[in-house]
Amino acid sequence: MRFSLARVVLYLLMTVAAVLFLMPVAWMLVMSILPEHEIFQPVPHWIPQEPTLQNFQELFQRAEEAPVMRWFWNSLFVAGTGTVAYLLLSSMAAYAFSRLEFPGRNVLFFIVLSTLIIPGQVTIIPVFLILQKLGWFNTYYALIVPGLAGAFGVFLLRQFFLTIPREIEEAALIDGCGRAGIYWRIILPLSKPALATLAIFSFLGGWNDFMLPLIATNEIEMRTLPVGLTIFLGRYSMQYGLVMATAVIATLPVLVVFLLFQRHIIRGVVLTGLKG
Amino acid sequence: MKRMAFPAHQRHEALVGYLFIAPYLVLFVLFVLVPVVWGFFISLHNWHVLGEQKPFVGFANYRALLRDDLFGIALLNTGYFALLTVVPGNVVSLLLALGLNARIRGEDVYKAIFYLPVILSVAVVAIIWRWMYSTEFGLLNYYLKVLWQFLHLPGEFQPVPWLNSPQTAMPSLALMSIWWGAGGSMLIYLAGLRAIPEEYYEAARIDGASTWGRFWHITLPLLKPSLLFCLVMSLIGSSQVFGQSYILTGGGPHYSTLTVVLYMYQTGFSLYRMGYACAVAYVMFLIVLGFTLLQFRLLSARGEE
Repeated sequence: MRFSLARVVLYLLMTVAAVLFLMPVAWMLVMSILPEHEIFQPVPHWIPQEPTLQNFQELFQRAEEAPVMRWFWNSLFVAGTGTVAYLLLSSMAAYAFSRLEFPGRNVLFFIVLSTLIIPGQVTIIPVFLILQKLGWFNTYYALIVPGLAGAFGVFLLRQFFLTIPREIEEAALIDGCGRAGIYWRIILPLSKPALATLAIFSFLGGWNDFMLPLIATNEIEMRTLPVGLTIFLGRYSMQYGLVMATAVIATLPVLVVFLLFQRHIIRGVVLTGLKG
Repeated sequence: MKRMAFPAHQRHEALVGYLFIAPYLVLFVLFVLVPVVWGFFISLHNWHVLGEQKPFVGFANYRALLRDDLFGIALLNTGYFALLTVVPGNVVSLLLALGLNARIRGEDVYKAIFYLPVILSVAVVAIIWRWMYSTEFGLLNYYLKVLWQFLHLPGEFQPVPWLNSPQTAMPSLALMSIWWGAGGSMLIYLAGLRAIPEEYYEAARIDGASTWGRFWHITLPLLKPSLLFCLVMSLIGSSQVFGQSYILTGGGPHYSTLTVVLYMYQTGFSLYRMGYACAVAYVMFLIVLGFTLLQFRLLSARGEE
């Protein structure tokens, strides 16, 4: 690339933008290892003079009032189990909608599809009342099951399944393979890219969800990290090192997922029109 | 014979189809379909969680909403939030995408940095920015002060009260939300830019078009589908803003950040007025539905050209 003033300016602007975008996250990481006397300073300490893990250690000592590790486990279990179940249920339904003939199929698919435009907040009150009637309040069921009913996975996977040639399936049928076998041994393995994209977004969504765990639980032991964080904020608002250490714990898993699957995520956003 | 019209293997296939769909369908009915219908039913009742009686009141909740000052404030605030985020946010996304599209070195790194905030939970975002916005110790006021002194601006620097004043609270939530979400639209714009054939630009260059002219006459018109998609999606997204004000300001100061969904949450889960809260939810649904239909119209109108 030839030297040109325009390109120097471009790099300068992009780097300034990148610094601005990175700063809040970097500051969270720095604050979580700052000792308390370095946090409340008129001049920000970007490079800690005495970096410490004390904030993280203190989290374990306060496990009674603020069980951060329990919240971590709740989030992990809810996001992990939710993702596996979501992929399984959505792909089964998508297989039926894309390949099997049964009366009412198109009407059903249209109904499922049309609910894509309904925001979750609209139905949150009836969902809350249903969870109470089922006796699921403060259980993992309440945190996982309502999320499995979303229409997006069915829609995305059906579109993908339609691109798999029918001939493969017909050949397998002739060889005596049943529908369940075709679904499990042919359709699913051929759909790994779509399933992976959906899995990543489902995990990130489950891990970061705020509203459902907020309304579906009130026991401190059943909170997930995002909701736990906000309780924490009220209770220890002056102990910012502690709050930041919890925020780091709430961020590390998604950060790891992001760094590992960056390319898939970026392609997935474009492919599915998803944001966040 | 009737059997001939509907042979055994077809009946078998239908049965298998229902079996495959059943687990999902049960949950779909229970947690999507029933709530949609039941929510409307609830909104027609005076439905208190603890009340024994849940009398039918018709559209009284909706009529009450029309006269409810707080609901009016919440609607206006939500509109204000949309105004502050939709166009400015998309401008940021588009600028970042244009920068990335210039084939810069380290493109993947820049792209990842701009997208990074999108993967964070609203709770984490709010906690980080609560500190950024701190009047005494916040990074923003500190760097504004440094900039103030560097530029030798007149007078003493007055710290911005960010979340603490009714004038600045909503713009602060908007700024944070733009940072949080810009990376998503950026990726869609970048894909849109990459789809524009290079020949168009070469032809324009030969014709002597300026950079600005090329952007105005080639890039923008060809990017229209992405622009419409992102604008309407962010409009729909911003009409549902909740976590930001719930966590950071609780709707304050002086109701300046009370949004529609926050109002629904408060009437439903603090005052237990479920019927009224459902009416709020349905009004919000109508608004979102309007935007969605607008999107379909705009996008299909594009396709017919």
